[in-house]
Amino acid sequence: MSNTDDIRWVTQLTLLGDKSAFDKLTCKYQSPIRRFFLNLTVGDAPLSDDLAQETFIKAYLNINSFKGLSGFSTWLYRIAYNVFYDSARAQKHYEDINEQLIDSQYQMQNEFSVEKMDIYKALNILRKEEQTAVLLFYMEDKTHNEIAKIMNCPLGTVKTYILKGKEKLSVYLTQAGYGNNKN
Amino acid sequence: METTKTDKMLKDFFSERKQEIADNGFTQRVMRKLPEQPDRAWIVWIFTAIGMAISIYLGINSGLIQTILMYMEHISIYYLLAGIFCFPLVGSIGMYFAQNRNF
Repeated sequence: MSNTDDIRWVTQLTLLGDKSAFDKLTCKYQSPIRRFFLNLTVGDAPLSDDLAQETFIKAYLNINSFKGLSGFSTWLYRIAYNVFYDSARAQKHYEDINEQLIDSQYQMQNEFSVEKMDIYKALNILRKEEQTAVLLFYMEDKTHNEIAKIMNCPLGTVKTYILKGKEKLSVYLTQAGYGNNKN
Repeated sequence: METTKTDKMLKDFFSERKQEIADNGFTQRVMRKLPEQPDRAWIVWIFTAIGMAISIYLGINSGLIQTILMYMEHISIYYLLAGIFCFPLVGSIGMYFAQNRNF
């Protein structure tokens, strides 16, 4: 499904109030948005679902502010980013995240194996802004320009976040033997 | 060179852990929580009615409709019927291509 579909569905929603068009948009973007939150909350599935739900409701209520200058996906991630940081500021939850919490979540969700565990541990060595930029770039395949729009910061800052994140992750993964196992 | 290697390692690391999350009723839960908004489908009907009224007004004033009716008197009923049945056929073909387009 292309961006043309997104624009068509947004038009149906804004002009005709056609709710089924928003159903299609939610269905299309639920997976990437929930995955984005799941990684940012180091695997807290109930919290990430709540945040994703809030994101879609905000998108629905503010759909008239979507001007189509950037893609619908970028606009939606921008809302998701704001929802996450509002929530983090309100709860002061994420500053307290530490190894113990990740370990306990791993024990609760051990059906997902070591793979998910190590992505959360790897992300946890980064600052929140670096985590966001790295996830958007490497996991969600967003460009630097799109990330700058989502995070509402200069392009140079985004590049710095990604570069620093990359350096830290490179050291961490090499020490964990990831590169060696691959080759 | 080193950067490219690191980039590849990180791309591989994240893409191997990229999961598609099944909907499992998430969309339905979101749709249920959306506030009700007025149905604005009537806008389409209003514009259609205005468009038709303008067309008929201009058609009558310019004598176009009378001319068409005059011509139709001389056309065989079979041609007229064939013409009328063409509309749903052309419409269906158009709808088919619109729904099955792959771009």
